[in-house]
Amino acid sequence: MNMRNNIRYDNKIAYIMLLPILILLTVFVIIPFVYAVNVSFYDWSFYQDSVYVGLRNFSNVLTDPLFTKSILIGLRFAFMVVPAQLLLAFLFAHVIKGLGKRLSGFVKTSIYIPTIISGIIASIVFAFIYDYNAGLANYFLELIGMEKVAWLADVRTALGSIAVPVVWLGFGITALIMLAGLLDIPESYYEAAELEGAGVFARMIRITLPLMKNVILYLLVIGFTGAIQQFELPLVMTGGGPIDETLTPNLYIFNHFKNDVLVGHSIASALLLFLVLGTISAIIFKVLNSDKAVDG
Amino acid sequence: MKQRRTKRRVLLWTMLLAVSMLASACGGGSGGNSATGSNGENGGNNKAQEEQSTGGNTAAGEKVKVEFWAQKFEDSTDAWFKKWTDEFNKTHDDIEVKLTIVPGDAWAQKLKAAQAAGKAPDVLTMNYSNLAPSAKQGQILALNEYMDQSLFDDLYDNVKGFVTVEGKYYAYPKLVEPSTVLYYRKDLFEAAGLDPNKPPVTWAEMIEYGKKLTKNGIYGVSTAQTAGDLGWSSWGLQFNSAGHLPITNDWSKADVVNDGYKELLNFYKTLYQEGIMPKQQLAAYADATPFGQGKTAMQVSGSWSIGLFRNDYKDMLDKIGVAPMPSIDGDQTKTTATLGGWTLVVDGKSKHPKEAAEYIGWLLGGDPNIMIEFFKTSQFSKFSPRKSVDEAMNQDPDAKNDEWRKLISEKIIPYSEAEPVYPWDISMFFATAIEKAMKGEGVDKALTAAEKEINNFIEKQQLAGTNPK
Repeated sequence: MNMRNNIRYDNKIAYIMLLPILILLTVFVIIPFVYAVNVSFYDWSFYQDSVYVGLRNFSNVLTDPLFTKSILIGLRFAFMVVPAQLLLAFLFAHVIKGLGKRLSGFVKTSIYIPTIISGIIASIVFAFIYDYNAGLANYFLELIGMEKVAWLADVRTALGSIAVPVVWLGFGITALIMLAGLLDIPESYYEAAELEGAGVFARMIRITLPLMKNVILYLLVIGFTGAIQQFELPLVMTGGGPIDETLTPNLYIFNHFKNDVLVGHSIASALLLFLVLGTISAIIFKVLNSDKAVDG
Repeated sequence: MKQRRTKRRVLLWTMLLAVSMLASACGGGSGGNSATGSNGENGGNNKAQEEQSTGGNTAAGEKVKVEFWAQKFEDSTDAWFKKWTDEFNKTHDDIEVKLTIVPGDAWAQKLKAAQAAGKAPDVLTMNYSNLAPSAKQGQILALNEYMDQSLFDDLYDNVKGFVTVEGKYYAYPKLVEPSTVLYYRKDLFEAAGLDPNKPPVTWAEMIEYGKKLTKNGIYGVSTAQTAGDLGWSSWGLQFNSAGHLPITNDWSKADVVNDGYKELLNFYKTLYQEGIMPKQQLAAYADATPFGQGKTAMQVSGSWSIGLFRNDYKDMLDKIGVAPMPSIDGDQTKTTATLGGWTLVVDGKSKHPKEAAEYIGWLLGGDPNIMIEFFKTSQFSKFSPRKSVDEAMNQDPDAKNDEWRKLISEKIIPYSEAEPVYPWDISMFFATAIEKAMKGEGVDKALTAAEKEINNFIEKQQLAGTNPK
């Protein structure tokens, strides 16, 4: 009897504690989402009666080659940023793990600093670095006798040039999360493996990676969805150019929001982007098969 | 043991969650901040509007509050707005105008958010090309019934056309400024063996001179080279080469694959590929700073750059020559520029259109001295849409003796065209074609692609026959 009471009591507390976040989610996510879906079927005007247009906004977006291009650019961008970031973070996490306590504290703080720098500031700094005439990047190229590169204006280099600051910005936090995952693996596993004669590489493949599966999954999902949604760096550094080569999906949506007289097109494209991101996350979950990742 | 591991795992995940929340908070920082910023502003407007509506309903004697948002321009312009708005409030007992200066990059978001919430300002700044689409959507009010006809009679005829949509005036203009003027360095011309008093008049000459002037780290020519800049800065040259814009007058189809446009694309292509202009822009088209700093020998930019040179590069002034932009065939009476500029409009849902219009009329259409002060602080880099202001200004020795002002108002403005009012997407399709040509794609291929894109767009947006002009 007593126990049942206790259980009920717990439930009530749990519901009360959940209530604030449920209310916030309803107000800021669920209601706007339903509203947005509704609005996407209209030629939404702020001043005149909105006209119901059915699926026309969606068909307009889907048949716009620029939208498709922007999604592909988002994907290409993610494939540049995420692997580089994870690899670097993985290596760096190992380095930090091997450092003494004091030094590792210092290194952890240092690599975390880019994370708290605003993307806008970073893009301005990197725009200076990529300056054609007086930028640091071209200065070094000229120093070693190579020709200047139009980093942000050349179709071949523009997207990569934006990927560099993104990797730099996100690398610190990724490394720290990796480090947390690494430290979670009991040393005894490695000792046992060593006694059995497993080399460094075998230990990494057989112990480290499987046990970090959930961490890597988390970083992949966050990294991919974040990179595809990259917005402020191309906005400040290239404005989507040259020839729309850095036009990420969010920048495409922003341009339409800014320039269109009616807002339906922007909302329809935002909802479609939501579908794309959901699909990508689902694929990553499926491929890595996360629910089977149990600790040994 | 198992339990402890689970606990640690829970702890790890909690940490991860916390970190990820932190990260997303940081990542979303700029967006989140601006959202709260605009929410906060909306809250402010909300209050202002409440006050406004109560103000409107209560007995006479209480002040009507008029909300005015101005885009951020040069500091001198902001100061001018502040000064004369204060003056208006002092001299008008029944109206109080509340001025808010909004930075350009926040403008679109802030205004759309306010419009969606029905809390847009009563008065706002708007450029000429946005007037017609806004009027058609009912976003701005026709001013005929709120402002005296004589104020509009004072406008030059072409500018009258700029603010007219379907026979009604939807805005009062503040200024016009030609989008394309050629600035060149006389001393560098001399050093390169060119006559400093004979700037190029044809595109071929511009390319030839540009080649001679490109040396010692200085570029021969600087002009727009990103699609966003080319979109509007090339309008004048499109008129110059093709005699029209890339869409037919009834907006029913693209009109872009022709010899004039081909030559225009080739012009940009040659400048870019021959290295006469830098491979990556030194600054945006509207910003002539690199020329002031001596990095370019010929700079194509708007008339507003005169203000920049006169304020920030005083020691360069003797070396700078000003001329009309070269023309495709040397005929300097052909259009090379569009007349951009800014107006004040009244929001379609304003509760106090009469008071809002009174303020606009007083500031832009009233005492010529108010506007003369503005043109003086802008260093005569902008031009008056009003005859009476020009007449009064011509009495002023500074203005009368200003050679650059004279040249632009006599040799460029009379041949300039109005900015187009079709959706911006169309300008971008064409600008992208120019950029493609510059980056090495064939001119014919780029134009054909633009034609297809424009026609697609017309069909999807059902544009045919909707030109409001």
